Amino acid sequence: MNFRFFILVFLFPFIGMLAQVPSFNIPPVDQNSSLQEMKDGNSSSIEKLVPKRSSISETIERAGEDLTHSEIGRRVGAAKLLGKYRSSNTSVLLVGALDDESPLVRRAAMVSLAEHASNGTVVYDRSLVEKIYSKLGDSDVEVRREVSAMIPRIISVMMRSGMEVVEINGRRVYRSVPSKMRSDLFEMTQRAFLDDDAIVRQNILKYHTYLGVPLPSSSLEKLLSDSDHGVLLTALSRISSSASQTGIVRRVKELSMHSDKGIRLKVVSVARDANRYHSGYRGILRDMTGDSDPEVLSMAAVELARFGERVPKEIVEKIKLFLLGVDGMSTQVTTILYAVSALGVDGISVYRSLTEHSSSKIRTIAWQRFISLSDGWKDSSLWMPAMQDRDKAVRNAVLNVLRGRTNDLTEAELNKLVNNKFSDVRIFAAQSLLNAKQDAVDSVGFDLLIDEDTIVRSTTIRAMSVRRVPGWIKILSRSLLDDDYVIQRAAMDGLLEDKEQGVPALKKYVTQNPQSRISNLARNELNKLGIKL
Amino acid sequence: MKKNLYFLISFLIFVTFSSGQTSSQSKDGSVRIVQLLRQENSIRRYPDALPSLLKMMNEQTNAHFDTDPLYINSFTDVRLLENPILYINCDEQPNLEFPKEEQDALRHYMEQGGFVYLDAGIKASFLGADLGHSYAAWEERPEVKELFNQVFPEKTFIPLARDHDLFRTFFRGLPKNEDLKIQANQKRLPEAVLTFVEREKWPQATYSFVGMKVKGRLACVASPICAMGWGRDEFGAWIPPISFRIRESAENFDQNLKLASFSGGTYEVTREDGLKDIIYSENGQRPLWVKEPNGSWRIFKYYSGEEISNYAHAFYSRLGMNVFLYALLH
Repeated sequence: MNFRFFILVFLFPFIGMLAQVPSFNIPPVDQNSSLQEMKDGNSSSIEKLVPKRSSISETIERAGEDLTHSEIGRRVGAAKLLGKYRSSNTSVLLVGALDDESPLVRRAAMVSLAEHASNGTVVYDRSLVEKIYSKLGDSDVEVRREVSAMIPRIISVMMRSGMEVVEINGRRVYRSVPSKMRSDLFEMTQRAFLDDDAIVRQNILKYHTYLGVPLPSSSLEKLLSDSDHGVLLTALSRISSSASQTGIVRRVKELSMHSDKGIRLKVVSVARDANRYHSGYRGILRDMTGDSDPEVLSMAAVELARFGERVPKEIVEKIKLFLLGVDGMSTQVTTILYAVSALGVDGISVYRSLTEHSSSKIRTIAWQRFISLSDGWKDSSLWMPAMQDRDKAVRNAVLNVLRGRTNDLTEAELNKLVNNKFSDVRIFAAQSLLNAKQDAVDSVGFDLLIDEDTIVRSTTIRAMSVRRVPGWIKILSRSLLDDDYVIQRAAMDGLLEDKEQGVPALKKYVTQNPQSRISNLARNELNKLGIKL
Repeated sequence: MKKNLYFLISFLIFVTFSSGQTSSQSKDGSVRIVQLLRQENSIRRYPDALPSLLKMMNEQTNAHFDTDPLYINSFTDVRLLENPILYINCDEQPNLEFPKEEQDALRHYMEQGGFVYLDAGIKASFLGADLGHSYAAWEERPEVKELFNQVFPEKTFIPLARDHDLFRTFFRGLPKNEDLKIQANQKRLPEAVLTFVEREKWPQATYSFVGMKVKGRLACVASPICAMGWGRDEFGAWIPPISFRIRESAENFDQNLKLASFSGGTYEVTREDGLKDIIYSENGQRPLWVKEPNGSWRIFKYYSGEEISNYAHAFYSRLGMNVFLYALLH
């Protein structure tokens, strides 16, 4: 046994009992006299009377003495105070207090040790850490809870692998020794899976893999029947190692009919992941497509679709109705919404229905998926309704899908875009001039040139200059006279692209309007082309 | 009583929203919460908090909220006036400095009947840049004070009394085992924690709120950060974990803590009674202990664990729902 640990556990309390030194023997301060001295301005006397704070070592030493005091309250106070001083010394003192007969002291000591751990102080002595961990078997539930919650913080020391030196054929060989939990602690951990307290059970379930302690199938089966929801959820996420066993499949099947929706949703997730271990899980998912809750039903159905199973039309209809009825996006809705693609042709009709959902986020995804899956950009009647969507984010998402894909828009189609009340749609109309039919450009070009929105006008000017529409030099030259710099700039850029007619027109403008805002920049650009003005 | 509230909430929502349909409201008449997000691409600590809370309200009450908040980046956004409740997580904003036109728009919104919930509108100075902590101070943070001095120079924030209707609009009292979905005989919290929570931290499920009245109506409330307690994962489990800061006393602490080694700084924090606590804090550590105005000293202890976190989440969610339902009903 570690000698320091021996002293701590066995001798320290004994020495403490002998000593019984009251802590903080501070001389009483006479308030009246001190006040009088303040009035007199005798500051040096005040300094002498005001008790000074002790040093860290003094504080720890006194608290350590208090830990062995006969009064429980004094021991509790010392254990609490030591949590504020992180050092190996205080950790040793607190570990010593874990064997106190009073659960209040043990609780306070454990909370202080947890405080050290959460502040980054690691107890490096393995025997001390094992002592802390052994309190998982404490009679007090609060102590057990604290220890079980501390596992991630103490595990590195407790499960640290070692090194040994052996002689092989006369040569010293260093070799590693794998970490191994003490057998009594191992057994205690296995018992803790079925602890009386649900929080302890849950924590052990969460952390047993860190400890290298396997979860026996019999314990898992019991935990899958636990009355605590937290334990059930954690147990469900731990079935992978025993997923192929019939007893576990049976329990998961029973849980697929649990009254709590969260548990049933977890079952869907678990059945999906465990599908590779046992065919029964696929059957559970199929049964769950008949769940009374549309969300659970939808989750189960889309998981089956992802496995390549054909989902019956009536189930697809239920998924559609569920999605139409949700109030907005959530993690589950997002999962289902994206997974609808796996339904194939049926999924397209679901997305189409959702383009009228009240949630803008759902409409956005529905429009994107609907257009992509149905090659919707080829038929303006499919995407044109999105141009009337009240939410800019939805329109932008659809426009991003369409950009570069819509060719040869007709006059009627362009007219619809030009007459749209949203400027972002009209900007798209102006951009579409680049590859629309000529008669359509002739028809709507003027409307776009006099649009109230500057970006629409400038985009139109740029499109016209690229297409070289009849009379474009005149349009761009007049646009140089516009008050708006953005328009002037678009016109200048367009004219600079044509050396034959555009550059002379720009040169003429600069000569006639030397003080215009755009003239300085135009002069520089012309200079770069070797034209001096 | 709860039945009546169900009816009242349903009725009010129907009356409020059946009359008109505007572009930013949901088609189905559900209430849409407006959330201020001045920087769209900023890192958000609790992005799922508000949608989670709204979903819970739809599940647990007859109120009908759109679970997608409407994000705006300026008070001058015309859509603000189309929706009755504005939620601002003050920790998610780059700052709380707004140009004059935005201040005017905010004033106009509140005068027109809008309700503003300033989450993290209270933040004790010792918390610094640490966004994951909540502390029951009883005055608005300085940035909020400065902003509202400009928006409503004639008004100040007043602490909400513990018996204010806001704390019992729908949910009453602290979470029970039943609310936490745990066995009836299971210990909810460690004894020291439960005693402090019930008597001091959140008595009768109240918390430190300050509010401002406009035209006789409570139009704005500020609280320490509550959003951290609203998140649920897809299976209904609470996220992220929350721990508790508890004040504890022990024999001789009034003497011991006064003299115990300490080399850090101290901070004053306003209490409910207007007096000041002195918080003792060391760099890089969570606050150590507190000297209370009555001369007693108590130590801060920190408790974490599944049960603590679940309890805190249940409390913050019930409180958050009460705030939004209060805003809807008043």
